Amino acid sequence: MIKTPHDVKTYRRDLKNALRNNFLGATLDNFATAYRTSRATAFSGIDFDALAHEIAAGKDQSIAHLPELLEKFSTQAEKAGVKVHFARTAFEANSIIASIAKASGVKQIVKGKSMTAEETFLNAHLEKEGFEVTETDLGEWIIQLRNEGPSHMVMPAIHLTRQEVAELFTKVTGKPQDPDDINGMVKVARKELRRKFLDAEMGISGANFAIAETGTIGLVTNEGNGRLVTTLPRVHVALVGVDKLLPDMKSALRILKALPRNATGQLISTYVTWITGATECKSSPDSKKEMHIVFLDNGRLALAADPAFSEALRCIRCGACANVCPIYKLVGGHNYGHVYIGAIGLILTYFYHGRRNARAIVKNCLNCQACKSVCPTGIDLPHLIKEVHRTVLNVEGKKPVKNLLLKKALGNRRMFHFLLRRASLAQKPFSEGQYLRHLPFMFSGEQEFRRLPAIAKVPLRDMWESINRRVENPRYRVALFGGCLSDFVYPEQGEALLQLCGDHEVQLEYPMEQTCCGLPAQMMGERETAKDVAVQNLRAIDPADYDYILTLCASCGSHLKENYQKLLSQEPALAVKVSQLRDKLIDFSSFIVKVLKVDPEEFRRLGGKVAYHSPCHLCRGLGVTKEPRELLSTAGFEYVPAKDEDVCCGFGGSYSIDFPEISAELLKRKLDNVEDTGAETLVTDCPGCVLQLRGGMEKRGGKVKVKHIAEVVAEQKKQPRRKG
Amino acid sequence: MKQDDALTLLKERAQAVQTITAEVADFRAACLYAVDVTQRQGGTSIAAPGLSGKDLSHLKAACKTGGLKLFTKNLRENIGQISTGLTIADWGIAETATLVMDSTSEDFRIATMLCETHVAILPGSKIVQDAMSLENELTSAMKAAPRYFAFISGASRTADIERVLTIGVHGPRELHLLIVKGTSG
Repeated sequence: MIKTPHDVKTYRRDLKNALRNNFLGATLDNFATAYRTSRATAFSGIDFDALAHEIAAGKDQSIAHLPELLEKFSTQAEKAGVKVHFARTAFEANSIIASIAKASGVKQIVKGKSMTAEETFLNAHLEKEGFEVTETDLGEWIIQLRNEGPSHMVMPAIHLTRQEVAELFTKVTGKPQDPDDINGMVKVARKELRRKFLDAEMGISGANFAIAETGTIGLVTNEGNGRLVTTLPRVHVALVGVDKLLPDMKSALRILKALPRNATGQLISTYVTWITGATECKSSPDSKKEMHIVFLDNGRLALAADPAFSEALRCIRCGACANVCPIYKLVGGHNYGHVYIGAIGLILTYFYHGRRNARAIVKNCLNCQACKSVCPTGIDLPHLIKEVHRTVLNVEGKKPVKNLLLKKALGNRRMFHFLLRRASLAQKPFSEGQYLRHLPFMFSGEQEFRRLPAIAKVPLRDMWESINRRVENPRYRVALFGGCLSDFVYPEQGEALLQLCGDHEVQLEYPMEQTCCGLPAQMMGERETAKDVAVQNLRAIDPADYDYILTLCASCGSHLKENYQKLLSQEPALAVKVSQLRDKLIDFSSFIVKVLKVDPEEFRRLGGKVAYHSPCHLCRGLGVTKEPRELLSTAGFEYVPAKDEDVCCGFGGSYSIDFPEISAELLKRKLDNVEDTGAETLVTDCPGCVLQLRGGMEKRGGKVKVKHIAEVVAEQKKQPRRKG
Repeated sequence: MKQDDALTLLKERAQAVQTITAEVADFRAACLYAVDVTQRQGGTSIAAPGLSGKDLSHLKAACKTGGLKLFTKNLRENIGQISTGLTIADWGIAETATLVMDSTSEDFRIATMLCETHVAILPGSKIVQDAMSLENELTSAMKAAPRYFAFISGASRTADIERVLTIGVHGPRELHLLIVKGTSG
């Protein structure tokens, strides 16, 4: 039985247990690595973004017309001899299927893999009604025998070892099974299940597509069990979510182009089956199949009408959002979803299985954007996860103290910056050089997996006027959006920027009214606060005054670019300014490489071996991947690639405080990979990542220095040419 | 795309999904191939529904020479005894090495699903570049309900135990694709 924790404390206990499972950790890591390669190969020669965009547009159209599509589908299917049913709820769907079975004198049922049937807990219902139900997909059969839920939408038994399967099959067959003979175990399933197929009177399938124009269902499978389920028994019932409705074959083929490639890195699954109407079936008295299609609403139609959340219905259940999720990779699907797994699972759980089941798991997102970057239907998964999180907090009315404090602090910039300056004084007794010696009591214990930095004595904003040279005839006027960390913790990053721009005729400005970008508020589900600071920043920095808005922090940059638009879409006066901001926003590396066009001549050679950590919000948020690496080589470094460079470091702002065990493990893996390269320095483009990585390296006593790219590039710069 | 290029791509992609391809001169050669494969695997029978006329006579003769049983209809009665399923495909999709088969007849489905080895014959002229190229054909077919169409790309497979790719979990353990060059079906 699936038991999803209803509170964070229990959830964190489960997570810690999962982290101790070495098999899971290793197998999912191997899978993630293999998946990355096979997916890339499968999509070679295909413009993934364009395809995802097309699929999204098509799905959005369908989602807006589900009742019409349903009507058209029903007319066509009924013409072809199918009985179409509509179930408002999971219970109704299960009851309809049970009564079909009863009316047809069915005793034994074979099932093909269906996430929709998992959603309604169909097996439990049918078994209670006295039917024998057998899952026939190998993975589903295994977890059915173990009385578990799937741990992945495509590979339901990926969490199990061969030994566990052998033990299970030994029990089933009464004969000892060799765990190393996987082929032999698969043969056991073939033999055991073949009998079930032949004896069953009813087959239940799901459907990947429901094509309205012709009343056709489409099934995408690999094992071939779906074909047997729909062929051998005399009754066939397909349970289909209404979100699977599409207008025509073209829409289905378009999705089919992406689905197997994105799910398993296959160009196509072994079998794709298209069924229209009740076909020939010689075990039926009239030689004709008795066919039923049960469409399930279970909240989908309401979801379809929601302006923000309807996007979730685009999901085609490829499971890729789990495949690339760094958290899923550590704890597996049983700890990362309820029935539906992965990023989409965190969202759908709230809508299909209720607030209590969503409450704890929905907090477990780093906002690293990995899922969003591979979603074949362009769902903004991290954004929707935060929206569900926010909704749960609002509905339950129990906000954590940190949310209230943050709201208060960010509400007034002067107060916020006053507090930060005060903190610099207050931390004195606790600090030791650039780090805090002791953590304040609220952070002690589990936060000690990394050292936390002390707040700078003088923030960047307070030294700005004295270090920023005035340029007489600047080529570019550039506003620096500092972000809290660059401003108050690492002002040296801003200093490095100024040094680099020194002889490039750039006039930098630091608009003093700027404040926190608001991402921390967004992460905690505080949309109103996030919106307030967005307005403050747009008032502080008028994009029309500058050629570029430059940021040293990838997270701030990505938040300004992506989320401001969403936050301020209802504010007509600001919408244009948000667009201008998006157009002019640039990250540090792109600015230095593409705008300043720095030359290797400006830098010393032999900068040493450096590894690079690609910040989530730079490589995925802003789509910048080439420039930092190019800059490192221009600046005289030997760049050495590390494994999983673009996997999250585990910081995620307040995430690392909420789920320190996950953050610590991600950090450990990241630093292990970096140390394996033999690099002397680890470079990255985001002060948040610097905080996490440097603190972790310091804690483990590692030798690799961790620096912001601005710092290392500035250190390599030859003395500026002085004019005149 | 020229037909030759499509054929080359199809053969290349077939390899990636463990489909064994061969070019044959005509239907008779295909029958001999099927008999030979069956014998080599120690099989005893071939199921081939939907054939008639000359094609059927060729196969009958080949089976007789090879000492194999031939099932042509009511295949439900022969489940468990079918060594090889021999069928003709409607189209081939080069990009994914996919066979498209109208499987509306139950016998056709049993022959392709419940055999140990599936030998499919594809006229060389029926190869298209990608699935999208068949949009209209598929739509028309689906309009002529009831219809059961199958895309088959390789042998039945699973990776459900420790992600180890294993062939033949439910369906055929081997898929042979015989391309009859220069025919128009």
